[in-house]
Amino acid sequence: MGLLTFLGGIHPYEGKELSMEKPVREYLPKGDCVYPLSQHIGAPATPIVKKGDRVLVGQKIAEASGFVSANIHSSISGKVKAIEPRYVPGGSKVESIVVENDGLFEEIDFAANVKDLSTLYREDVKEIIKEAGIVGMGGAGFPANVKLAPKNEDAIDYIIVNGAECEPYLTSDYRRMMEEPDKLILGLEICINLFDHAKGIIAIEDNKPEAIELLRNKVKDNDKIEVHVMKTKYPQGAERQLIYANTGRYVNSKMLPADAGCIVHNVDTIVSIYEAVIEGRPLYTRIVTITGDAIENPCNLMVRIGTNCQELIEAAGGFKDGVIPEKVISGGPMMGKALFSLDVPATKGVSALLCMSHDEVADLEPSNCIRCGRCVDVCPGRIVPSMLASLAEHGDTEGFLAHNGMECCECGCCSYVCPAKRHLTQTIAGTRKSIIANKKK
Amino acid sequence: MDNTFKISSSPHVRDKRSTQSIMLDVIIALLPATLFGIINFELNAMILILTCVVSCVLFEWLYQKMMNRKVTIGDLSAVVTGLLLALNLSPDVPVWMAILGSAFAIIIVKQLFGGLGFNFMNPALGARCFLLISFAGRMTSFSYDGVTTATPLAVLKNTGDLANVNVLNMFLGNIPGTIGETSVVCLLVGAAYLLIRRVIKPVIPFTYIGTFAVLIMIYAVASGRGFDLTFLAAHLCGGGLMLGAFFMATDYVTSPITPAGKVVFGVILGILTFCFRIYGGSAEGVSYAIIFSNLLVPLIERWTQPKSFGEGAELAAQGDTAGTKSKMDTKSIVIATIAIMIITVIAGFALAYVYKITKDPIAVTEQKAKEEAYKAVFDDADSFDSYADFDVDAAAKVVSDAGYNADIDEIVEAKDSDGSVLGYVVTVTSHEAYSGDLQLAMGVRADGTTNGISFLSLSETAGLGMEADTDSFKSQFADKKVDKFQYTKSGATVDEEIDALSGATITTNAVTNAVNAGLEYVKAINGGAADSSAASNGGDK
Repeated sequence: MGLLTFLGGIHPYEGKELSMEKPVREYLPKGDCVYPLSQHIGAPATPIVKKGDRVLVGQKIAEASGFVSANIHSSISGKVKAIEPRYVPGGSKVESIVVENDGLFEEIDFAANVKDLSTLYREDVKEIIKEAGIVGMGGAGFPANVKLAPKNEDAIDYIIVNGAECEPYLTSDYRRMMEEPDKLILGLEICINLFDHAKGIIAIEDNKPEAIELLRNKVKDNDKIEVHVMKTKYPQGAERQLIYANTGRYVNSKMLPADAGCIVHNVDTIVSIYEAVIEGRPLYTRIVTITGDAIENPCNLMVRIGTNCQELIEAAGGFKDGVIPEKVISGGPMMGKALFSLDVPATKGVSALLCMSHDEVADLEPSNCIRCGRCVDVCPGRIVPSMLASLAEHGDTEGFLAHNGMECCECGCCSYVCPAKRHLTQTIAGTRKSIIANKKK
Repeated sequence: MDNTFKISSSPHVRDKRSTQSIMLDVIIALLPATLFGIINFELNAMILILTCVVSCVLFEWLYQKMMNRKVTIGDLSAVVTGLLLALNLSPDVPVWMAILGSAFAIIIVKQLFGGLGFNFMNPALGARCFLLISFAGRMTSFSYDGVTTATPLAVLKNTGDLANVNVLNMFLGNIPGTIGETSVVCLLVGAAYLLIRRVIKPVIPFTYIGTFAVLIMIYAVASGRGFDLTFLAAHLCGGGLMLGAFFMATDYVTSPITPAGKVVFGVILGILTFCFRIYGGSAEGVSYAIIFSNLLVPLIERWTQPKSFGEGAELAAQGDTAGTKSKMDTKSIVIATIAIMIITVIAGFALAYVYKITKDPIAVTEQKAKEEAYKAVFDDADSFDSYADFDVDAAAKVVSDAGYNADIDEIVEAKDSDGSVLGYVVTVTSHEAYSGDLQLAMGVRADGTTNGISFLSLSETAGLGMEADTDSFKSQFADKKVDKFQYTKSGATVDEEIDALSGATITTNAVTNAVNAGLEYVKAINGGAADSSAASNGGDK
């Protein structure tokens, strides 16, 4: 059998060797932690603490305010210093709970949360996941319990663990798979058991042979879980492409993965589910890869959510030779967000801090489209990015919709390959956002 | 906030490929054919190539400066246009024509439509076709080894005989043609480079050549030639097909961007080239096929929009199979393709047949004009028949040996009503005239008496050189039995002397020499030395 894959995509420089073999190291914050109330898709959470309250590690400090929303827990112990707008990695100011770190890391009694799995109903498990504030940790931040509660539970055939980690430089999922494979498999089993017919797939790109081998051995005798090997290609881990590569099923922008009988979860999300259900710990840590050519010691850190990013850079030895990099990205180079300041908290969706001493994009000036068709070749959505960008520039929303503009997943492949250095992804994404915003009105 | 970083929208990394590096690859891929062109056609080719490249870049720079636009000559696209234009020119065209073509390509076709990426047809081919229409004679006159000859495909088209065509030479490039089109092997080396570097995709060239080859074979079988692979090879190697298919049909800007569109485009090119070549006026047809297809590109793209990832999957998921054929499914692509094909075939044949319909009347008119000219220089002749032993190479040798820069185009026998030969009418072209070539017909009696002259083509300065076409000047050549004429400025005293046209010595000289060349030739055939039967012996000396 050939490697599983999809049509299109690109092969950017991977950069994973910088941090791939660095075991995860725990980092405890020294300064204050900031918890934005909106670290997920959906309605912002509502604070349930007030200024001056003392909170403990794992204590719920904000509560989900709707069906699509998520709880937020403190990751340190200390006093609530303020509830005020703070900058988040996305660049906007978001109402946040600021907790003053007392350095004690005093925990709530997690054991009290733990219940015997055999006595739990499916609804109880989903409630635990919801209570733990678990969201998709690949970056989008969709509440995990909502994904696990599709309209038609009978139709779910596959729970796919997204271990592609196709974004260059990122190694947090890889380290998770290497260091905590049992947690991953048990977490996946918990999810599988929520459905009658579901099977588990752990999908990994072939550039991680050790993780493939390790997990294959672990699930050898497990007839409900399979490890799938996929071709190393970006965006192999994009939800729709991942589902297609592993099941041959198509999902478009009008559908949810559940409509094709699939639920996709990130590696970190599945491990968080394990920790919530088995250990009673809500989501208050995550692995962040601190990497890039501007970092002294690239590494993978087990980070308390809410930790200031400046601290994380220092934990990685600071910037190489003390030189301030030109660009710092939250996440990978293809879809990550550029930070203008390090004074932002590491939220649930921050998978990496990528520091580049030179910003190659700043040197490039867009020129006329030469219609070479490279964007068409690489587009995993099989649309025509150059044409859509031109329609978007002319404000032709009708034409944009007619040419399937909404099928864009903003993966960035078109901008990556464009020899005229046009900002195709940005242009298309802007129009998509305004169309979605207008629909909601 | 002391640390501020650069911010921009994702992605934050980019591929190394740039417009400039792609254009550079195209230039590199054209180098083998360019070098071969220079070796094959020597200095002329080199001058034309340099002229085209430099003037294309210059015109782009000039236009952008004048229009206060950003100067983009650094992207090398103007160099590619210039190089392609030069490779599409006959090595014999004058430099001013190359400059004119460059101006047309860059300013009219490219910049007026918005510059790189917005031109509606390939600039180099647009310019070539512009020159082809404006200066048909110059653009289709090809010399090889110093002798003006027809291209192999023109020979094949006119004679229909493969024996006149050396396919191996066509493959290697030792044939007359435009500077860059002759060597198939050099072009294929360049094409391989483009394919390996992934600058172009094989879809367009392969569907183009494939469609064309199939049609040619069908034609070969249908026209009684049989399954003749040499005929196919001659058509594949000749007429710039390889240059067009790999380097110009694949031009990004003027070919479809959609995957299905590329296939449709290639097939259309194949059909059109076949129609133009077999049923049309010219022997090659590649240029016209490509620029015509360029115009169809927006239409092709409209009809071949790709189906997006998972399009219609939401209906399939609900079991609504009837609804899955939303927008462009395979069936409608096929229908659209067939529609485009039909349009193409009709257009192709229509264009080809315009030539067919007009060919005969034009030929009749030309024949009539000739007959009148013959009559004017030999009014006592009753009929004119072609001279059976006419050999153009032998005639050229006689004329050049005698030291004249003129061509003997044709010779006919002037006969009386009994059919006995009174003398000859010779058509001579002189290259010594003041502006362009002049062509005249002259009657020479069997005893060597010059009967009279008449101009078939004369484009000299009005009031000066054009005075040559007056009876007072022409009559000086009438009814004189002399060995050779010469002109004088001090008043003619003997038969040999011709009064020079005032202010037009060059024209006078050209006419006199042309007549003398004709006389030399008639002398030679009277001695039998310049006949085709004698030519081979003469060559051995």
